Amino acid sequence: MHKLLGYLTSTAAGLAMLAGSAFAGPYDEYEGTTLVVNFPAHPHFNAVMKILPEFTKETGIEVEVDQLPYLKMRERQTLELAQDEGDYDLIAYVVFSKADYVYADQLENLAKYFMNPKLADPSYDAGDLIDGYVYNIGFAGGEKGYLQGKTGSLFGIPYGSETSILGYRKDIFEKHGLNVPETYEELLETACKIPELEPGMGGLSSRAASGHHASHAFLLHLAPLGGRVFDDQWNPIVNNEAGVEAANALKKIVECGPEGAASFGFGEALGSFLNGDTAMFLDTTVVAGQIDDPKKSKVVGKVGWALHPEGTRRGSQTGGFGIGIPANAEHKEAAFLLMQWLTSKQGDKLVAMAGGNPSRFSTHQDEDVNEKFPHMATFGEALKHADPDWRPIIPVWGKINADLGTTLSKVLTEDLDVQEALDGVAERTRTVMDEAGYYTWQ
Amino acid sequence: MKTATLNRLTPYIFMAPAALIMIIALLYPLGYMIYGSFRAWDPSQTLSETEFVGLKNYISLLNDPNFHESLAVTLKFAFVVVSIEMVLGVGLALLLDRNIRGMSILRTLFILPMMIAPVVVGLMWRYMYHPTVGTFNRFLKSIGLDGVDWLGQHALMSVIIADIWQWTPFIFILSLAALQSLPSSALEASRIDGATGWQQIWHIKLPLMMPVLIVTCLLRLIDAFKVLEVILVMTEGGPGLSTEILALRISRTATEFRELGTAAAMSNYLLILLMLLTASMFAYTKFQEARAARLAAHAKEDD
Repeated sequence: MHKLLGYLTSTAAGLAMLAGSAFAGPYDEYEGTTLVVNFPAHPHFNAVMKILPEFTKETGIEVEVDQLPYLKMRERQTLELAQDEGDYDLIAYVVFSKADYVYADQLENLAKYFMNPKLADPSYDAGDLIDGYVYNIGFAGGEKGYLQGKTGSLFGIPYGSETSILGYRKDIFEKHGLNVPETYEELLETACKIPELEPGMGGLSSRAASGHHASHAFLLHLAPLGGRVFDDQWNPIVNNEAGVEAANALKKIVECGPEGAASFGFGEALGSFLNGDTAMFLDTTVVAGQIDDPKKSKVVGKVGWALHPEGTRRGSQTGGFGIGIPANAEHKEAAFLLMQWLTSKQGDKLVAMAGGNPSRFSTHQDEDVNEKFPHMATFGEALKHADPDWRPIIPVWGKINADLGTTLSKVLTEDLDVQEALDGVAERTRTVMDEAGYYTWQ
Repeated sequence: MKTATLNRLTPYIFMAPAALIMIIALLYPLGYMIYGSFRAWDPSQTLSETEFVGLKNYISLLNDPNFHESLAVTLKFAFVVVSIEMVLGVGLALLLDRNIRGMSILRTLFILPMMIAPVVVGLMWRYMYHPTVGTFNRFLKSIGLDGVDWLGQHALMSVIIADIWQWTPFIFILSLAALQSLPSSALEASRIDGATGWQQIWHIKLPLMMPVLIVTCLLRLIDAFKVLEVILVMTEGGPGLSTEILALRISRTATEFRELGTAAAMSNYLLILLMLLTASMFAYTKFQEARAARLAAHAKEDD
């Protein structure tokens, strides 16, 4: 009897364990794990903070966030990722860091996680992620080494990514019967017409300050005007016809812009638009929240949105952040689950509703999201033209970018000849590229 | 060991651990930087993984026009701010070295700027210089004048003004302390001899304050050569490279360009420059002291 009882008990226990394993949820194994993540102080990640408790509730995985100002975050990651065992399980990074981290073997290739049936959610729908963002911030090893392609792999997923969009003052445009610019020609013409029609008001508010700001503004125009910094053989072509046209476009925008525009960083450029001193703003989509915030903006309800104007082609910027798993992370699988949850359709909608930047086409078309943020449909349309290659993502870009930005600043403030200035940049860029080994095969 | 020898060595034995820690704490980072300056050093590598490149980093800087421009901006910035701050700080100290009611409050107010974090100072001035909403241009416009492109065409002058605002109090407070510790007998004697206020300043106060002033000037110069946050926040080095001082270039080279070896070499050039400056100022102090001693000896002989 005892034997029979023992047999029945052990069989029941075995069946219970089997049933348990058959119906175990994907998160069960990781319940109670505490992930440490490193995010920037940025409007998107402020929205992420609001939805993380939902993840913990659903999965039982705790998340501890080390939120730092962007530059500090970059510094911290440089130190952390070089250790044998790092503190972070998941990090947010900007696109420039992708090249550095992948090159130094500091980010996990995500293939093994998406191949793991216990981890990868079959309903994730990666095809819905915005192509330009994924190629820009997630891929490495493909075309040009930093894009998608047959030799490429995925190292991160866009999260808090941005593209460029044209914001314009509906009231001013209506008052003067102006059409919303669709081409670069119209953009420049309208930008310079506005100060004549509205004395004291600038046409278009742009960053132009020395260094990164001026370079960013120039590249914003270079891609739609048909230019690139390098050709396919890494020869600098920033000084060709399209490059000169882009620099002249920036010069004209600054000349017809608000007072002191040549020294504007991103903050001043946005501030000028928020303050009602400028009629147009061509930059990142991340500003939409501030433009609609009555505490920060004097133009609430007066701003319309349109696609980044077309030059010889459409090409809006791609930037912002992606998330990836450090190679020295302690809880890589749990970190993947968090990454997958955040960038899933559900997570993307949640973060969009909390004021973040969605990374999926479907979120931009979502009824609830559009009801709360009516600009989202236009942003989604703009993302179809997001250009992942609008600026090079190579380890030596920092040096080239600084040179380009300071030289363009001289063009804007010291009246340096555009062609001569860009020829100088191209020559110095060639030297940098040569030293970095880009002409080894030539 | 004999007791006498042991007694002689005891203080050194007790001091040894502290001295060793001091030496390591002081010299290790310095050695690290010097060692790194001879290597092609990327921030993702440990120093031992890097490639030895000899003097390449130092030589490439000698041929780098951006480095030359940064060095020129640094020299211009440092000498202009320190000269003006010395004149203003010492002048204020001479003016306020008296017993007037409310003087202690006034002195406290004067030293407030240097208590503010440099980043805050940078932000404050950046927005006061703002072309449309900034205090200065709004004032200029209110009296019918055109606004000034403070952080554009006049960027270097604008950052110089901000630095003078923040650091003149430092000179003031040290000068005031020096003035108040001057021997009253010398001043009384000169007063009895009929010296005017100006003669007292020129022939008594300033010469007696000189050692303190030299050290103060040196401290400010060292600081001015290394200033970073205020300029970073106000202009980010622009327009062009017109306000890109050496500390900012070093920071950019290390973080944006990821060339730690070159940044270390640049830091060493700055270190050498500051050492030369310090040595020459100390030599000048010694020369002044020797001169004063000679004059005193002559005066004694004359008596």
